[in-house]
Amino acid sequence: MATVTLRGIGKRYPASAARGSRDAPPAVRDVNLDVADGEFFVLLGPSGCGKSTTLRMIAGLESITEGELAIGGRRMNEVPARDRDIAMVFQSYALYPHMSVYDNMAFGLRRRNMAKAEIDRRVEDAAGILGLGPYLSRRPHALSGGQRQRVAVGRAIVRDPEVFLFDEPLSNLDAALRASTRQELTRLHRRLGTTMIYVTHDQVEAMTMAGRICIMDHGRVAQVGAPLEVYHRPATTFVAGFLGSPPMNLLPAQVADGALVLGDARLSLPFAARPGPVTLGIRPEDITIAGEAALRGEVVAVEPLGAETILALRLPGIDRDVLVRGGRNATARLGDRLGLHADPGALHLFDAASGQRLEPGSGME
Amino acid sequence: MTSRVLFRAAAMLLITIWTAFAAGPLFWVGVISLRSTSEFMNSPYALPEAWRFDKYVTAWTSSGYDVYFVNSLIVVLSAVAIVTVVGAMAAHCLARYRFPGNRAVYFLIFSTIVLPPQITIIALFQTLANIGLYDTRIGLILVYAAVQLPLTVYILESFFARIPADLFDAARIDGYSEWATFWKVAFPVAMPAIATVVILNTILLWNEFLYAVVLIVDDAKRTLPLGIQKFMGDQLEDYGMIATGLMIAIIPVVLIYAFFSEKLIQGMTAGAVK
Repeated sequence: MATVTLRGIGKRYPASAARGSRDAPPAVRDVNLDVADGEFFVLLGPSGCGKSTTLRMIAGLESITEGELAIGGRRMNEVPARDRDIAMVFQSYALYPHMSVYDNMAFGLRRRNMAKAEIDRRVEDAAGILGLGPYLSRRPHALSGGQRQRVAVGRAIVRDPEVFLFDEPLSNLDAALRASTRQELTRLHRRLGTTMIYVTHDQVEAMTMAGRICIMDHGRVAQVGAPLEVYHRPATTFVAGFLGSPPMNLLPAQVADGALVLGDARLSLPFAARPGPVTLGIRPEDITIAGEAALRGEVVAVEPLGAETILALRLPGIDRDVLVRGGRNATARLGDRLGLHADPGALHLFDAASGQRLEPGSGME
Repeated sequence: MTSRVLFRAAAMLLITIWTAFAAGPLFWVGVISLRSTSEFMNSPYALPEAWRFDKYVTAWTSSGYDVYFVNSLIVVLSAVAIVTVVGAMAAHCLARYRFPGNRAVYFLIFSTIVLPPQITIIALFQTLANIGLYDTRIGLILVYAAVQLPLTVYILESFFARIPADLFDAARIDGYSEWATFWKVAFPVAMPAIATVVILNTILLWNEFLYAVVLIVDDAKRTLPLGIQKFMGDQLEDYGMIATGLMIAIIPVVLIYAFFSEKLIQGMTAGAVK
């Protein structure tokens, strides 16, 4: 087990590799992270945000162009991948197609000149944990997607590494298998207690598995924190909009005369803020339908999902629909006019220009 | 239903005619190989009066075909081994590594495929004579390997390029060097394409005549196609023995094709359909 520390890590590809653009922005810039010993740490973000590049730099598969990487307190920038004592599970699983499951798992151990008896023991132990015992002599093409994924995890486990790296390992599985494998990986982490860094674009994976989440945007760290902390106190409009399904409503508003002006309505401010334009964030589940309310809107879309119904309402003076999480028995129909209530404590304010979260004190008069 | 039957019948008829057209000459040479030359001269298309299988024994033991066969075996297998290993390494390198001039090197190698052998043969002759490899099996082996390299690289490069990069990354993390990764991962994974180039090059080189006739003069170093030529004189041509020699030369190729044609097609069409 080991800590992983990133200090000012950046990645810039040569101009020729940047698809003809001489001024291509760096893929990753100024990433500072401290992953604790035994932590399950998730790098989350949309495609192209730099999360996989960051993981590959930790693995030693990409060179680091700026900053310093340390694993277990030891600088790793120039250390080749094989000497970093890490194991990686790839999105494509990267199983050697010409080898059996056993050979796939033993391949890395043979390179270390490990005794055959020890290799057998480790492979059988890992196969036992992952339920792969009956499949050890099979080739990868004779396995299902879920079994292949487990072989990839098994190949990582047998190495008994300091750090596990996962690069979107569940994205090739169907929804049902993804949910069960998620739980298996969480159990595995509890059992092994090893540091795990996990890359995903799936917020459900991040929220359910992570000890802490790092949300990345355009190569930068947007926010790091525990899942619920990040969900309930997003640092930027990007994080607020990225986490949550349906996402947080982000609405243009004004602070004026000690109140929050949203379209034609005036709301109570959650805290004293400097007058001027702001972005108001409200989670759909923090809005309740009320008979009489300052906010009133017309239902323009109804999405019944069984467990709940998502309503989209058009508010006067606002050019964006407001999403509301209705109960499973919501009876609203298209064209209905509903009153909406949001508790001031559930309102989030962001700077309209920078998108940064405004806190009591940070934007006070 | 009727139109489908008619279509199938027409297709079968077409295939039968084509098979007869393609296999007819082979059958004819096979028949001549069991007849004497005088028999053949009297009636070229007749069946043998007596089946002279002893001609194969004569060709093998008295006409030097055993030597030619062994020479062909040594030259072709060596050249195929060299071109497969060198071609696979070049293809892997060109497909996997980004370096300045990668495509230039690839097109330079590939462009030589358009040069007919007649253009290079004099220069090759002179070069081999200068370095003391003229009229040697090693010289012919090296020429064969060089001549087949562009086609080999072309076929293998497109296959290697389709091997997912994650496999190489996984091997790096497993602790393998680039060299070991090539032999333990890339080469075995590319086996369908490797089999294709081995079969293709074996067939092409087994039948090769032009380079051999220019670069080999010693009778003890001749390959099978040159051995057959021995029976073609200015005044007299021993058609019977030529046919026997041809059959000895053809049989290995036919066997290779019969047993490995499926692998050949698999390698050539790999990735063409999902």
